[in-house]
Amino acid sequence: MLETFNSLMLGFSVAFQPQVLLYAFAGCIIGTLVGMMPGLGPLAGISLLLPATFGLNPIIAIVLLAGVYYGAMYGGSTTSILMRIPGEAASVMTCVDGYAMTQNGRAGPALAIAAIGSFFAGTVGVIGLMLLAPTLASFALRFGPPEYTALLLMGLFVLAYMSGGSMTKTLAMAVLGLLLGMIGIDAMSGYTRFSFGIIELGDGVGIVPVAVGLFGVSEILLTAGQQETPRVQNPTLRQLIPSKEEFRLSAGPIMRGSLLGFMIGIIPGSAHIISSFVSYGIERRMSKHPERFGNGAIEGVAGPESANNAAATGAFVPMLALGIPTSPVTAVMIAAIMIHGISPGPMLIQEQPDLFWGFVASMYVGNVVLLILNLPMVGLFVNLLRIPYAYLYPCILAFCVLGVYSVSNSIVDVWIMLAMGGVGYVLRKFGFDLAPVALGLVLGPMLELSLRQSLAMSGGDYGIFLQRPIAVTMLALGLLLLALALKPMIFKSKDWRSKVGLEDQVE
Amino acid sequence: MTGHKTGLRGIRSDQASGLMLAVLAVYVWWLNREFPVGTLADPGPGYVPLLLAIALGIIGLLVAVFGGRSIPLFNIRWPEATRAVIILVACSVAAFALERIGYRLSIFAFLVFFIGVIERKKLLAVVLVSGGFSLASYYIIGDLLHVPLPVGPWGF
Repeated sequence: MLETFNSLMLGFSVAFQPQVLLYAFAGCIIGTLVGMMPGLGPLAGISLLLPATFGLNPIIAIVLLAGVYYGAMYGGSTTSILMRIPGEAASVMTCVDGYAMTQNGRAGPALAIAAIGSFFAGTVGVIGLMLLAPTLASFALRFGPPEYTALLLMGLFVLAYMSGGSMTKTLAMAVLGLLLGMIGIDAMSGYTRFSFGIIELGDGVGIVPVAVGLFGVSEILLTAGQQETPRVQNPTLRQLIPSKEEFRLSAGPIMRGSLLGFMIGIIPGSAHIISSFVSYGIERRMSKHPERFGNGAIEGVAGPESANNAAATGAFVPMLALGIPTSPVTAVMIAAIMIHGISPGPMLIQEQPDLFWGFVASMYVGNVVLLILNLPMVGLFVNLLRIPYAYLYPCILAFCVLGVYSVSNSIVDVWIMLAMGGVGYVLRKFGFDLAPVALGLVLGPMLELSLRQSLAMSGGDYGIFLQRPIAVTMLALGLLLLALALKPMIFKSKDWRSKVGLEDQVE
Repeated sequence: MTGHKTGLRGIRSDQASGLMLAVLAVYVWWLNREFPVGTLADPGPGYVPLLLAIALGIIGLLVAVFGGRSIPLFNIRWPEATRAVIILVACSVAAFALERIGYRLSIFAFLVFFIGVIERKKLLAVVLVSGGFSLASYYIIGDLLHVPLPVGPWGF
């Protein structure tokens, strides 16, 4: 415990450096703006900002990008509450009761509770990250290729089980992503695969063009053409203060949402999205007056907002401790760190303590910055929402082209982004979740390498996965979840989604 | 003929997408033929793609088999499709122009096309937004953040 405290002090000494503070502040502001803009979620925002971090030192780069990430989580809630437009997918549930509160003249308290809940959840998440990541990292030092293979497979099964929609469709998207990850030079044999003669594809398909295409461009393709600029309420500072009753009703959902969100955040998938859906379902089920939900229940804002922020922080645990992304956002952040020659994973905390603890401490600072930003400055931010979409979406598209091109000065990346935008548009029309594609793309090369190494170690015997206790436990857990996910499909019974009301919301 | 049309009309969206995934799996398998699969003890570069193609094929078929309750394929509406195609084509042209006429000019033309031609906004607004965005973004990203951006043959 004392060691953790000392390490955290080291982190604060890094986080309080004026330059780091400045970038944390800038990241939070950019993130809040990004989160408020339809078509620019945290993933697109981070991807587009990636080239700007090349010239920064790695600590500042990760602090800036993390600020954008959780800033976008906060920002998304503002548009959900005021306009019923989720700035990013995790804020969909906030729309339901948040906007109903706005219609009831309670937009201020809804915004305040969302900000307070996000602050509390963010802090819980950082404490969890601080306590769990080092322990997990030391445990992961025992991992060899079979354990990593089992871990990645378990991750994919958990992803399928926890997905908001159909399990088979989620798995299909994950496999599609894994196949995209096969493009390029094979690390073990030197063969160039599926490159169609395009030299740039020899390095593989980058996560940034795929992420910006799937999430940014496809969103614009779906929403371009909307003409109206909705009216926006602009609550004063006095109107932001919630009543005692609203505080009392929100306390439980904020605490439950924080713990639930953090736990869901650690597992793979669109954790922050799923956590807000699950939290909403749980609060509605636990409420003595479930009929209030949908009509402006503050618990419907407090729970999901806390959950999605805690999940955003929870996702950093496997990223930093194992070097494994559990969401497309953390995948891009891993790419950002690796550009600086640092490999996230079990050795990171030992070899780069200032980076890890500086990052943790900067998240404490970032949470305070966001609380200060989101409440008094909400009036300033909502002005952005008054920009007509006819001006906004061409500028967002130009940013997408600019951001993707500047990652590696490659026009091929822009073509990939556009192709992915088109593919993402069609897949979304058919009800496919796109996050597993981005996740599969990053996990693909890792899974291939660890599987082939495992088979080489065992002389081609798949039994190696059954001989190693950690690997067999993870595989058994993954298969158990897969079986649980298959059960409702075969026996036509209800699964966890319908139990928490997720299916109703998704459809 | 009528029966054939009725059959197509009855196709559900998941059945169509599942079959498309299965077709894609076959295509990947076909492309993968040129890479050695190797042996179990020494898997080659074609080994994992082959496993993934098989997995995609099976999952695609499962999506199709369990897709009987999804919405009918022809009930999916595409009201924004024309605009989506225009956006993709315009972005492609901008991407093509980027390294030829430079960042500022291509983004300026790109925004003029969207805001002026597609959205039919007033000329002054079009020029101000397009010019302002292309110059300001170049200054922030290119000059302040030192990210190299393409410059045209005329030096800007």
